[in-house]
Amino acid sequence: MKIKYNSEIISGAIFSIVGAILWVLIPTQIKTMEKSAINAQTLPKIAIGGMFIFAVGLLLEGIFAREKKELVVTKESFRSVGFKKEMRSILYALFLVAYCFMVQPLGFVVSTVILVLAIMLYYGARKWYYYAIPLAMVGIVYYVFRVMLHVSLP
Amino acid sequence: MEQFLGGLQILAQWQNFLIIPLGLAIGIVVGAIPGLTSDLGIILCIPLTYGMDPTMAILMLLAIYCGGTYGGSITAILINTPGTSANAATLFDGYPMTVKGKAFKALQMALFASTIGGLISAFALLFLAPLIAKITLLFGPAEYFALAVFGLSVIAGVSNNSIFKGLIGACIGLFMATIGVDSISGTARFIFGQRKLMAGIDLIIALIGLFAISEILMKSKYDPKTDHKTISASAITKDKITKDEYRRCRKPIALGSLIGVIIGATPGTGGGLAAFIAYNQTKQASKHPETFGHGEIEGVAASESANNGACGATMIPMLTLGVPGDGATAILMGAFMLHGMVPGPTLFAEQGNVLYAIMIGLIVVNIFMYIIGNVFTRFYAHITRIPYEILAPIVLTFCIAGSYSTNNRVYDIYIILIFGIVSYFLRRMDFQLVPILLGIVLGPLAEKNFRRAMVISEGSFKIFFTRPISCAFIVIAVASVLIFAWKNYKSNKLAKENAAK
Repeated sequence: MKIKYNSEIISGAIFSIVGAILWVLIPTQIKTMEKSAINAQTLPKIAIGGMFIFAVGLLLEGIFAREKKELVVTKESFRSVGFKKEMRSILYALFLVAYCFMVQPLGFVVSTVILVLAIMLYYGARKWYYYAIPLAMVGIVYYVFRVMLHVSLP
Repeated sequence: MEQFLGGLQILAQWQNFLIIPLGLAIGIVVGAIPGLTSDLGIILCIPLTYGMDPTMAILMLLAIYCGGTYGGSITAILINTPGTSANAATLFDGYPMTVKGKAFKALQMALFASTIGGLISAFALLFLAPLIAKITLLFGPAEYFALAVFGLSVIAGVSNNSIFKGLIGACIGLFMATIGVDSISGTARFIFGQRKLMAGIDLIIALIGLFAISEILMKSKYDPKTDHKTISASAITKDKITKDEYRRCRKPIALGSLIGVIIGATPGTGGGLAAFIAYNQTKQASKHPETFGHGEIEGVAASESANNGACGATMIPMLTLGVPGDGATAILMGAFMLHGMVPGPTLFAEQGNVLYAIMIGLIVVNIFMYIIGNVFTRFYAHITRIPYEILAPIVLTFCIAGSYSTNNRVYDIYIILIFGIVSYFLRRMDFQLVPILLGIVLGPLAEKNFRRAMVISEGSFKIFFTRPISCAFIVIAVASVLIFAWKNYKSNKLAKENAAK
């Protein structure tokens, strides 16, 4: 399968859809009692309407005025270095998502230590002091915020 | 004069003289580490300033900004990788000087030129800002709204090669600014049933997500085996700048500083552009332009004096008009607001003493920068050796603790993650993040004053065009968008023609 694309087409299409959805949501998300023409809905309408119009402009620019890359999707594409790098980025983002689920039940120190270890392993760190420095930093940050700034971390 | 003396009195507190070197040290280290920027340094340190008094807090952040701008030259000179975008022009001659074994000399000149540029810029801020502030006291809602529109037009200059992407970014920022309860009517907007969103999205939370988390995700493809460049400490020999070289660099430094101040004071530009223009002008004015790009010390002097020359000047439109000059000042503007100071026309009247303390403090920051830079030049090679795999989890730990400490709730950690992932996607799509930030910062100012002006004018848009200052701002805003759009069109066309050739 061949796909011709550029960043303008992708982002233009996405923000056209996002803009259209948000526009439809305005009456339910902003229930204003004001009767004047300029009210609580005005700026959101300008922002969302602008987003939609500019996104359509970007989409048209991408289709007609910008060079396109050609992507040939085959079974080999899923084994390419580029694809593997993208998957690694997604894995990294998943670490952060997992952290969000851990931080409340496990607390700041334990969950952050797990996150730090996961990131160090992700980058393939082998030396012990590579692990020691960020792990010590978790303790220092906890101390600074808890004791010096009087912020009770989770 | 009274405010000036009041400012000196506030600045004279001993704590300020401890916090400035600390901020500079953080800034220099952050700037010197590829992958970390002064913007990121400021964002990560904002939560640490919550307990400080406003002068101390802003001075620390300013020291990080100035130190970071100078610190970025260290990696540009030593490992051919600019620490921040403002130091890109320093590469041209800085790294060739290292190759020739003149790294110490290049680092010394970068420090000297940065200090002179920074001092000239700080004096420009001290003398020009109060004058502009006096004029801005005449502003009403129509002028404020026009000012916010003018501020938003800055996006045209920071949108790289696509004006549409910049405009979409500004719309995203404006939309985010509307989330929460509307301050005029009390209507909830886009809270999707989440009571925690009633107060809106905190600026610091947005900053951490937009800049710090997205930067961490952008670096997820970093490979320690191939991407980590270092230089051995022994490569920095103690080869001092000669008197003749100082004499030769006088003109480039003066030119660079002047360009830095002018460019810096123009919203939507910043130190990076100033450095390129100064480098180019110095090369053109030189009697030996052929030596530029091959380790010419004048090239380092011009670019470094210009980028630090822009530092103080970018604060002129920010403090007087409430229009941030570039990304770093947009973040600093957020910090001012967090400490109860709303940059803009009334700031000088309301908190003149504190402002003078900050502006005079900027001069002190530059003097300290020279002292600290001189003492630690020998250690810079070690900073560049810090592997990114150690830095990434440390930055992340600060982000998490910083975001939680803003409101003492885990919810904000989720928000920074959502912001981070969205802005990572935007950056992959070649969007700039500064327009989003401008939308968030200037959105509420624009909305509040637009609605007030419409009440005064009984619903007529004429008010924005019949008042001279308001009309002038709108005309300048439209003109600057059109000029930048035309320039983008021409550069895209040129790039296409070159590609075809």
